[in-house]
Amino acid sequence: MDLLNALVVFLNFVFVPAVSYGAQLALGALGVTLIYGILRFSNFAHGDTMAFGTAITILCTFGLQALGITFGPLPTALLALPVGIVATALLLLGTDRVVYRFYRERKAAPVILVIVSMGVMFVMNGIVRFIIGVGDVTFADGARFLVSARGFQEWSGLEEGLAIRSSQAITVVTAAIAVALLFWFLNHTRTGKSMRAFSDNEDLALLSGINPERVVAITWIIVAALATTAGVLYGLDKSFKAFTYFQLLLPIFAAAIVGGLGNPLGAIAGGFVIAFSEVMLTYAWRKVVLYALPEGWAPDGLLQLMSTEYKFAVSFAILIIVLLFRPTGLFRGQSV
Amino acid sequence: MISEDPLRDDRGNRDLSITRPRDAIPMDPIVPTATQPATSVVNAFLVGEAMVGGYGRGPSILNGCTIAAEKGQIAVIVGPNGAGKSTAMKAIFGMLDLRQGSVRLNGEDITRLSPQDRVAKGMAFVPQTRNIFPSLTVQENLEMGAFLRKDDISRTMEQVYELFPILREKRRQPAGELSGGQRQQVAVGRALMTQPSVLMLDEPTAGVSPIVMDELFDRIIEIARTGITILMVEQNARQALEIADKGYVLVQGANAFSGTGKDLLADPQVRKSFLGG
Repeated sequence: MDLLNALVVFLNFVFVPAVSYGAQLALGALGVTLIYGILRFSNFAHGDTMAFGTAITILCTFGLQALGITFGPLPTALLALPVGIVATALLLLGTDRVVYRFYRERKAAPVILVIVSMGVMFVMNGIVRFIIGVGDVTFADGARFLVSARGFQEWSGLEEGLAIRSSQAITVVTAAIAVALLFWFLNHTRTGKSMRAFSDNEDLALLSGINPERVVAITWIIVAALATTAGVLYGLDKSFKAFTYFQLLLPIFAAAIVGGLGNPLGAIAGGFVIAFSEVMLTYAWRKVVLYALPEGWAPDGLLQLMSTEYKFAVSFAILIIVLLFRPTGLFRGQSV
Repeated sequence: MISEDPLRDDRGNRDLSITRPRDAIPMDPIVPTATQPATSVVNAFLVGEAMVGGYGRGPSILNGCTIAAEKGQIAVIVGPNGAGKSTAMKAIFGMLDLRQGSVRLNGEDITRLSPQDRVAKGMAFVPQTRNIFPSLTVQENLEMGAFLRKDDISRTMEQVYELFPILREKRRQPAGELSGGQRQQVAVGRALMTQPSVLMLDEPTAGVSPIVMDELFDRIIEIARTGITILMVEQNARQALEIADKGYVLVQGANAFSGTGKDLLADPQVRKSFLGG
C-alpha cells in the first residue's frame, strides 16, 4: 500500500488535466450563460465563435513568430490574444447587426433565436475552415513544463512523477483573472449592474432608461473576449482543430445548464463538474488502485468505466439527468 | 431570476405595451363629442383628456375618459373589474396608442412620446407586478432607478431610505428575497430615484396585508407632500378614496363619477354601486 504514490498518480492523470479542462469549459460556459441571461437564447454558434477567435489568434501568432517576436517562456499566442478578441468582437457585433437584431426587434421567441444561431453556426463553421483549414494546428511555444515528471521524482524521491504543463498552469491563471474581471465588472460597475438589471427584467430596465442596444453590444464584446480566451487556452493545452471546437459545444452547454443558465457562478461550477466527470469516468484507475490497495488485492482489469471516445456521452448523460431532475441547474438559473 | 414555474418564460414583466415602438399609429382626426371635460381639469398639472384607445388594433377599452391630477395631489382611479382603470393609467404613460384625445404634462403635449421619453420628462411608473429587479440588491435596484441621472444620487437614495427605513436595513439583500410589502417599497423607491414630478402606481397594494396597505398609503401621502403628483389605480377603493384629493370612478372606459375622495365616499350612488353600501 502506497497512498502517496496513488495520490501523485491521481493528481497527474486526473486532477491536473481536469482542472485545466474545467477552466476552459468554465470560460466557454460563461459566454453561453451571459448570452442566455441577456439575449435569452442558447447560442449554438458559441463553439465556432471560439474556433474563429482561436484561428485569428493563431494566424497572428504565426505572424509574430515570423517577425521573431516571442513572449519568453510564455506562449506567443497570449500576445496575439487581444487581436483575436478584437476580431471576434467585430464578427459578433456584425452578426448581431445583420442577423440577431432583426429578430430581437420582433421579440422573436427564444426557440426561433436558437435555430437562427444554428444558421450562424454553419456560416461561422465555413468561415473558420476557409481561414485556417480543417487540419490539426499546433501553435504552443515557450516553456513546455512548469513541473516536469522527472524533476518532481528527483525532488520528492517518489516512484511516480507529477507533471504540470505550462499550458495547464497558464489556463488556470488566465481563467481566474478573466473570471475575477468579469465578476468585478458585473457587480461593481454601472454598466455591469445595468446588464444584470436587463437580464432580470427587460421592461423595467427600459423604464429605468437603460439602453438595451448598448447592453447587448457590451454583452457580445464580453462574450467575444471569453470565447476567444477559452478557445486559445484549449488550443494551447491540446491543439486546434475546427471540428473539435464544434464538438466542445456539448460539454460547454452541459456545464452552463448544470450550473443554471444565466448564472455566472453556476457556469464556473458546471465547467468543473463536467470536466471532472469526463476525466474520472474515462480514466483507467488501475494504477491508482494498485498503489492504494494492499499487495495482491488489485483486480486484473483496467478499471476504466468507458473508453475516452465516449467522453461526450458523459456530458450528455449529466445534461439529461439535470434537465430531468433539476431543470434550473445547481445554482438556480433559468431553465432552457 | 426567481420564478415559481421553471418552464415559464419570465422575460421582462410581460407587458408588451411598455416597449411600444416610438412610431405610433396615426390618430383619427375625429373630435370627441360625448364627454367633454370641465375647463378646470384642462389646466391641471397632468391631464389625460378625452382618451379613446385600446391595445394594438383591438377594440377601444377607453371611451373618452378624462383623468387629471394637480401638482402635489393624489388622484385615484377606481371602478369595477374591466372598467379600464389600469388601461387609463397606461394610456397616460404612453403604453398604448390613443386613437383620440391627448395627454399633457405641465401644459406640454406629450401624447406622442414613448414611455421611455416620458420617464425622461419626469414621469415614473410602478407596474403592478414584476416591478423590481429580483436578483439585484435593494441598493442596486435604487441605483438602476437613477440610471438616467448623471448627478449625485446619494441624497435621493437617503430620502428613499428615510421614507422606507426597512430598505436601509436590507439594502445589501437581493430584492427578490424580500416580502411582498417590502418589494412594493423597493418598487416605489426605484421609481422615486428619477426624482419624478409624477408618480404613477398600478395597484400598489395588490396582494399585501391590510396593515402593510395602511403603511404604504401613509408613505404615499408623505410622497405627495413633497410636491410629487400621484396617480394611482386601486382595487381597495374605500381606503384609496380616503387619501385621495381627487377620485375617478370609471365604468366601461368612461368617467362615471368624479370628485374629491370625500365627496365620492359620501355619494350614495357611488357607495351603493362600487363600495358595497
